[in-house]
Amino acid sequence: MKPRESDHISAASAAALEGVSFTYAGGGRAALQQLRFELRRGEMVGIMGASGAGKSTLAKCLNRIVPRFEDGEFGGVVRISGRALDGERVCDIAPMVGMVFQDFEAQLFSTNVAHEVAFAMEQIGLPRKEIAARIGPALDAVGLAGFDDRDPTSLSGGEKQRLAIASVLALRPGVVVLDEPTSDLDPEGKAEVFALIRRMREQGLSLVVIEHEAEELRNCDRIVVLRDGEIIVDGPPAEVMIRLALLEECGVHPPDVNRVMALIGIERHAASIDEAEAIIRARYPRLPAVHEETAAITDRASAQAGATVEDTPALLRVDHLSFAYPFGPRVLDDVCLEIAAGEFIAIIGQNGSGKTTLAKHLVGLIATGEGKIKIGGRDRATLHAAETAHQVGYVFQNPDHQIFAATVADEVAFGPRNFGLDDAEIARRSEEVLSAVNLTAERERDPFLLSKGERQRLAVASVLALRPRVLILDEPTTGLDYREQRRMMGLIGDLNRAGIAIVMITHTPWLVAEYARRVVLLRKGRVMFDGDVREFFTRDELLANSSFRPPEATLLGRRFGVAALRPDELADWITGHA
Amino acid sequence: MPIYLYLDNSSVVHRLNPTVKVFALFIMFWSVYWVDHPLALLPLGLLMVAMAQLTGSWPNFYRLRWLFILLIFFTTLAWMVFYRKGPALINTRIIHLSRASLMFGLGRGLKLAELLATSVLFLSTTKVEEFTAGLQRLGVPYRVGFAITLSFRLVPLFIDSALTVVQAQSLRGYEFNRGGPLERVKRYVPVVIPVFMGALRKANNMAMALEARGFGISAVPTSYIDYPIDTRDRVAFAALTGLGVVYFLIYYMGYGAISVN
Repeated sequence: MKPRESDHISAASAAALEGVSFTYAGGGRAALQQLRFELRRGEMVGIMGASGAGKSTLAKCLNRIVPRFEDGEFGGVVRISGRALDGERVCDIAPMVGMVFQDFEAQLFSTNVAHEVAFAMEQIGLPRKEIAARIGPALDAVGLAGFDDRDPTSLSGGEKQRLAIASVLALRPGVVVLDEPTSDLDPEGKAEVFALIRRMREQGLSLVVIEHEAEELRNCDRIVVLRDGEIIVDGPPAEVMIRLALLEECGVHPPDVNRVMALIGIERHAASIDEAEAIIRARYPRLPAVHEETAAITDRASAQAGATVEDTPALLRVDHLSFAYPFGPRVLDDVCLEIAAGEFIAIIGQNGSGKTTLAKHLVGLIATGEGKIKIGGRDRATLHAAETAHQVGYVFQNPDHQIFAATVADEVAFGPRNFGLDDAEIARRSEEVLSAVNLTAERERDPFLLSKGERQRLAVASVLALRPRVLILDEPTTGLDYREQRRMMGLIGDLNRAGIAIVMITHTPWLVAEYARRVVLLRKGRVMFDGDVREFFTRDELLANSSFRPPEATLLGRRFGVAALRPDELADWITGHA
Repeated sequence: MPIYLYLDNSSVVHRLNPTVKVFALFIMFWSVYWVDHPLALLPLGLLMVAMAQLTGSWPNFYRLRWLFILLIFFTTLAWMVFYRKGPALINTRIIHLSRASLMFGLGRGLKLAELLATSVLFLSTTKVEEFTAGLQRLGVPYRVGFAITLSFRLVPLFIDSALTVVQAQSLRGYEFNRGGPLERVKRYVPVVIPVFMGALRKANNMAMALEARGFGISAVPTSYIDYPIDTRDRVAFAALTGLGVVYFLIYYMGYGAISVN
């Protein structure tokens, strides 16, 4: 019998791309090039790669958003359960392939949770009885049982994303594709969603998960790494996770445990902290057993910084600040804080704990109710906008909330121009800040054509042009891949070394551990901790209550009784104590 | 802040068939439209007060209290000045105040307030999904009805993003209220562009998510909620029809107008 065209795809194939290429209309190079990819039934495949590597494009091919929704040149064959797609619309694929997007706000259309789950089932024409019968189990599956009558806008980020997943699951698709489902979530939301993904896998769903943090993909059956629209690695986590240089080069954050082991010369994969500890102890049997007390690693950088801080007077002083929105609960409750020149502070806490409200108080976006804020020794309420702006700069989370100009140079000049600086000074400052953020070559480009990472750096530059002494950054690395994150943080570190005090609001544990020297933890508007970052990561009860999980290097270090903040630090300690 | 005005109570009005609620919205607009005299508008106003009480919608009226106050106050004032008919009580070069202009101003203020109140009552008692279902029942295609209801969801998102953009630009020293009217409009460019770009992106994401949920497979999707018509709905429908007829008759017989003398 003559073999059929699809015979090389196994019968157990849930979805497959055969030689798929796609070039976005107006885009120069191909987003996908002759890609071959297969997802077998019941398999969970993680997809990683830098921004622009083609991850989302690959995912969108599976439900026909590419090429039906996105314009461009498409070639190749997409198969779902062995059947080649041809001419189907995106909506026709919905019952077979469910898709969950990063932007959870844009995926919810209804006024109550039950309606939201019903929505997709109504669209495909399921009878009322069947819809009603499926809502309960779908909500149950994502841990939202009993939420039926809630307004989706009143849910937390993690709950919203789980609701989006429930409404996809209700259609009982064979394949579920999740495109960076946790990028916009706080650590708690992230943990909820990944716990759900693990349950979905146990139930035998075929899953494709796109994610930047490799740690989260350790439980996958296979990991696919993309670069420039091509698959460069495709294998089980144990094989992929030890290729650290390659992962970093592809904009992926390799798991801390793998980095530690590589640094101490162990070329093996560990699927968990337990496993890593066992492997390391086997290699270095003389390592101490768990201490009661955690030894401190002397950190020259923070010791030095501490000295500078004590000598300088506070740039910013918050005295007994409390705040509540009209008719709302207290958002800030008796907050006291001092920020001195050269500090690097991370403000952390769950969504709704008051981080952004506090930051907005500091720059005068919210008028102080109870309490006082002093900037450079003067009451903030008596300062003009210009005076505040020259002392405290604020970079919003989403750079697109401020970018509007026709060129990069104009965008940077906007602030100084508003404050009436002369042209020569504006030109001087623009050059200075564009060079600081490494965008000098892009000065004449349209900001809207820059990458997300570049736009984020442009937003920082345009605030820096006012030469603030304190720079507040709200989640400066959201939506950036690992390489861009490192670059952004490198830039922020340089600014800090140049004497600018940094206040960074973040959810990302490794950023706090590696860059900040002081941590301010907020819970329900109260300061629960304000102190040294190393000390913070040894306070187990605080960590547990704030659902803030330390980076794996720190967790692994604690197994040996040491408070390490970075993989290299822990590796040095291990080799020094072996 | 909650985005929607819908209040999850279980009053009789809440439980009415959505088609009847959409019909009620129409009849109230219709009745208000035909009459100008404050006395003729008064019963409708009282009916709305009773409805607000019955449906527990006062929190929404409280939320929008300034809108109501400003609307009534300024409309009344404006019409008092511009409506220059009837024997004058006070007559200067700018102000011509007569019994008729007072009545007309008050009538206009009440009229707008009642239109607003009707909308608030409707949105307080009707879910977006019911609105779609009601429109569909009245012959509006599903896609059109859905687009209308989706816009209810989008507007607050855009307002939210506009507020953030205004904050971001003001921190860069931008002043919005400077110069003449044209200059002021131009000064909103640094807000309009980011909001517009953001809206495009959001709309694109939404459209993608919608299609990925099967939107468009069928021109007439099924409905999870059954909206049966029972006696309550029939009674409400008859009463509303009666109200509409009565108000048309009031207009037709000339009682709703304001006499100039």
